[in-house]
Amino acid sequence: MKKVGVIGTGNFGLALANLLALNCEVLIYARREEIANKINTEREHKGQTINEKVRATNNIEEIATDCKLLFPIVPSSNFKEMLEKFNPFLNPEHILIHGTKGLHIEKDINEVEELNKTEVLTMSELILRETSVVRVGCIAGPNLAKELSNKEIAGTVIASRYNEVVREGKKALNSSIFRVYGSNQVLGVELASVLKNYIAIAAGMLEGLGYGDNSKALLITRGMAEMVFFGKAFGASEKAFMGLAGIGDLMATCNSKLSRNFRVGYNLAKGKSIDEILEDLSEVAEGIKTVKVVKLLAGYGFNSPLADALHKVIYEDWEIKQGLDYVMNLPVSDDTDFFSSN
Amino acid sequence: MPNRKTIEKPLPPVIENMEDWPIYKTYNNEEEFLEKVKSYVLKNSSWMTVESGKLREELKNILYQEKIRLTKTPWKSDDPKEKLFWSGIKKQIRSVKSIENKGDTAEIDEKILDEIIDFYTKEMVANFKPSSFRFAQKALPYVYSRLINSFPQILFKVFSSVDKLYDRMKIQGDIDHIRKLQEMGTIVVVPTHYSNLDSPTIGLSLNNLGLPAFTYGAGVNLFTIKALSNFMHNMGAYKVDRRRKHRLYIETLKSYSTIALTKDVNSLFYPGGSRSHSGELEEKLKLGLLGTVIDAQRINLKDGNGKKIFIIPATLNYHYVLEAKKLIEHHLKDQGKEQYLEDENTNTYGLLKRTYKVITSNPGMTISFAPAMDVFGNRVDEDGNSISAVGKEVKVADYFKLNGKIVRDVQRDSQYTQILGERILQEFKENTVVLSSNLVAFVAFQIIRKRFKQFSVFEILGLPQDETKIAELEFKIGIDHVRDRLKVLEREDKILLSEELELPTEELMISGIEKVGSSHPKYVLKKNKKGEISTQSMKLLYYYHNKLSSYGLEDYV
Repeated sequence: MKKVGVIGTGNFGLALANLLALNCEVLIYARREEIANKINTEREHKGQTINEKVRATNNIEEIATDCKLLFPIVPSSNFKEMLEKFNPFLNPEHILIHGTKGLHIEKDINEVEELNKTEVLTMSELILRETSVVRVGCIAGPNLAKELSNKEIAGTVIASRYNEVVREGKKALNSSIFRVYGSNQVLGVELASVLKNYIAIAAGMLEGLGYGDNSKALLITRGMAEMVFFGKAFGASEKAFMGLAGIGDLMATCNSKLSRNFRVGYNLAKGKSIDEILEDLSEVAEGIKTVKVVKLLAGYGFNSPLADALHKVIYEDWEIKQGLDYVMNLPVSDDTDFFSSN
Repeated sequence: MPNRKTIEKPLPPVIENMEDWPIYKTYNNEEEFLEKVKSYVLKNSSWMTVESGKLREELKNILYQEKIRLTKTPWKSDDPKEKLFWSGIKKQIRSVKSIENKGDTAEIDEKILDEIIDFYTKEMVANFKPSSFRFAQKALPYVYSRLINSFPQILFKVFSSVDKLYDRMKIQGDIDHIRKLQEMGTIVVVPTHYSNLDSPTIGLSLNNLGLPAFTYGAGVNLFTIKALSNFMHNMGAYKVDRRRKHRLYIETLKSYSTIALTKDVNSLFYPGGSRSHSGELEEKLKLGLLGTVIDAQRINLKDGNGKKIFIIPATLNYHYVLEAKKLIEHHLKDQGKEQYLEDENTNTYGLLKRTYKVITSNPGMTISFAPAMDVFGNRVDEDGNSISAVGKEVKVADYFKLNGKIVRDVQRDSQYTQILGERILQEFKENTVVLSSNLVAFVAFQIIRKRFKQFSVFEILGLPQDETKIAELEFKIGIDHVRDRLKVLEREDKILLSEELELPTEELMISGIEKVGSSHPKYVLKKNKKGEISTQSMKLLYYYHNKLSSYGLEDYV
C-alpha cells in the first residue's frame, strides 16, 4: 500500500491517521508548522499518541505529490479554504475521502432568512466543484475520536459512487479493530452524518434534564425519521440512514459525553449560555450550525419538529422545557412514516 | 473562448487523400479489424466463460432469443441465410449435449461462441469506398440544394445554385478548432435527435467541415433496398439490430465501436437514443455506446498511440419536423414507455421519400457545433489540452490511474460516462439555436396555457379552436418579453439566438408563423385578417413549443 494522506490534525484526523498507520505509511497535513513539528518530535498531540508510521508535514505540495489517496478531515467552515490551497496540487488521479460532518453554505447564515438548495453543498459536492478531483467519497459512522485513539473496536462506512474509492479506502483502513463497510449512497451518508449532530444536542438536553432511556429512545427514533425526511427532500434514499452513518452514529453520539454536540445540549440544560459553552469547546460543534441551516431550508416542506424546537431554544431564547412541550404536543403520525412504502 | 462562425461553403479536407483516412484504412483491413473486435469481446465476456457450465447456458439463451426474434418480430431486412446459421448452431449445441458425459466440452462451447461473434461482427461491419464517398460528395450538395431551395412550383428547375444551400442550411461552431483537433485526434460527434432527417443533415455538415468520414450505427431496418443498402454500407454505416438485447450482442456492438475508435475512426452517436418524441431537448441520455469513448481513450493511452478522443455535441435546429405529429401523439399516449417508432415500415425507401418531402418543404435549419470536450466533459483548448471546470489543465490519463498505473475499471467508466452524458446535455442546452418558429410557438402555447391555468396539459390540448385564438398585440408583447429574456440568456452563454431574432417584432412574428411546422396538413399558427393568431393543431403547437421548455421562460409570457 502506498503512502496515504490525512488533511487536518483535529481529534478525528489524528485518530484516523493512527488507524491508517496499521496498514500503511501516513502523511498528515497540519496547517501550522509548529503543530507538524510537535507531532514529529513529541509523537503526541491533543492527548493522542501518534503511531510511528505517521509523519506530519506543513507542505501541501509534498502531501499531494506523495499521496494519491487523501482523507480531508477539516471543519466545514474551513473546508473551502483548504480546497483552494490544495487545488493547484490536486488532479484527477487523486482520490479524496472526506470525514467532515458538516455542510458548506454559500451565504452567511446569520444574514439570510431562507436558503435555496443550490446554496447548500455537502463536502463531496464542494470538492467536485472546487477541484479537478472526480473520485470522491466520504467516511462516516460512530467514530468518537477518543475511543478510536484508545484502540477500542469500532466500525465505519465509506461511501462513494465509485466502487474503486470504497475499495481503496477499505484497503487502507480496514483492520482487526476497525471494520470498514462500503456504500454507494454518498449523499445519504453525508446528510446522515451531518444531521445526527443536532439530534445529539437534543439528546444532551434530555440527559441534562434528567430524563431516562425511554425518552432518549423516542428522541433517537424520531430523530432518525426527521433525518430521513430531510434526506429525501434532498434526493437521498432512506437506505443510508439505516446504516452505520445513520442509526449507528446516532446511537453513539446521543449517548456519549464524548460528543461535542451532546455536551452542548447537556450544558444548555444545566443552565449555561450558548456563548459560554462554545467558548469552552476546543473544536467546532457542527450541530449548532446545522439547526440553523435546516430551519433556513424549511421552504422545502420536510418535517423537522426537532430542528424547529432546537432553533427556538438556541437562537430564539426559548426555555428548553418550552421546546420540549412544543415537540411533545405536535400531532403524532405513523410509527414508520419515513419509509417510502408508507 | 470559442470562435464561432458560420461556414459559407464546403471547406477543403483536413486529410486530402481518402486512402489516408482512418475509416478507409480500418475497413480496408476488415479481417484484422474484426479479429480485434472479437478478441475484445472475448476479453470482456469472462462473465460467461469463467464459471463452468455458464457458457452453455448463455449459448442456449442466445439461440432461444434469436429464434424468438426471427419468428416473432421478423423484418424484411433479415438475411434469409440467417435461419440456416442458427439451425447450425442448434445442431452443434445438441451434439455437445450428447457427448457431455464423455469429457470436457468447454472447447466446443468456445468454438460455438467464436462462430456467433464472427457472425455478428460480419453482419455489423461497415465499409468505406472512396468512390462511393466521392460520388456522394459531388452529388449530394446538388441534390440537397435543389431540394432545399425548391418550393414545389420550382421543384423541377434543373440548375439552382449550391451556394443557396447555405441560405437555408446554416452550419455554425468553432469550425477552425474542430478542424485543428482532427489533426490531433479522433472526433466523435454527438447530435440531438429530432427527425429521420438528422442523419443526412449531419452527414452533409461534417463533410462540409472537411473532416474524414465518420462511421455510425444504423438500424438494420434501413438496409432493405440492396443498392441503397450497399451505398450506406460503403459510406461507413454499420448495422445495429435493436431487437437483439442480449449481453453478447451488446458487448459485440460496444467492442466494435471501441476498436473503431482506437483505430482513430471518427464516430457519430445519437446519445439520446431514439428521436425526441415531445420536441423537448433531451433530458436524459441513453449513454449505451457513448461509454465506448472512455474505454477507447483508456486503450489509446495504455496500449495504443496515445491519441486523444474529442467529443463534439451538435444541435440540429429545425423549423419543421415532418414526423412531429406522430412523435407528439406517441409521446402523449405513451409517456415513459420505451418504444421505437421505427418498425418494418421504416425502410430506406420510406426514409428517403420522407426526407425528400421534408427538405423540399423545409424553410431552413441550423446545425450548431458546441465547443469540443475530452471524454470526461472537460473543454479542450486550442492545442487539445483538457481544461477542467476550475480552469486547470488536466491530463486525461490521470482519470484512469490507480497507484500510478492506468487501470481498467468498468464501474468507474460507467460513472465517467454519466458525467460525460451530463456535460453533453448541458452543451445541447447551451448550443441550441433559437429560431423564429421556436419563439412564436413557445409564446403562443404559453399564452393559451396561462389563460387556462387550472387545466392540465391534456385538457389544454383538447381545447376547441375558438378558445385558443390570441390577439396580435398580446402575442407581440409576449414575443418581445421572451426575446428580451432570451437575449439575457445568450449573454450568459446559456443559449444561442438565430439572426432572425434581431428582426423587428412584426417581421419576427410573421417569419415565425410562416415557418413553424410549415408543411403539416394542418397549420400550426396562422394570422387571420382580423389580426388574430390561431392554430389548427394544439398538439403540434405544443410539440414546437417544447423546444424552449427547459429554459425557465414561462414567467416572461
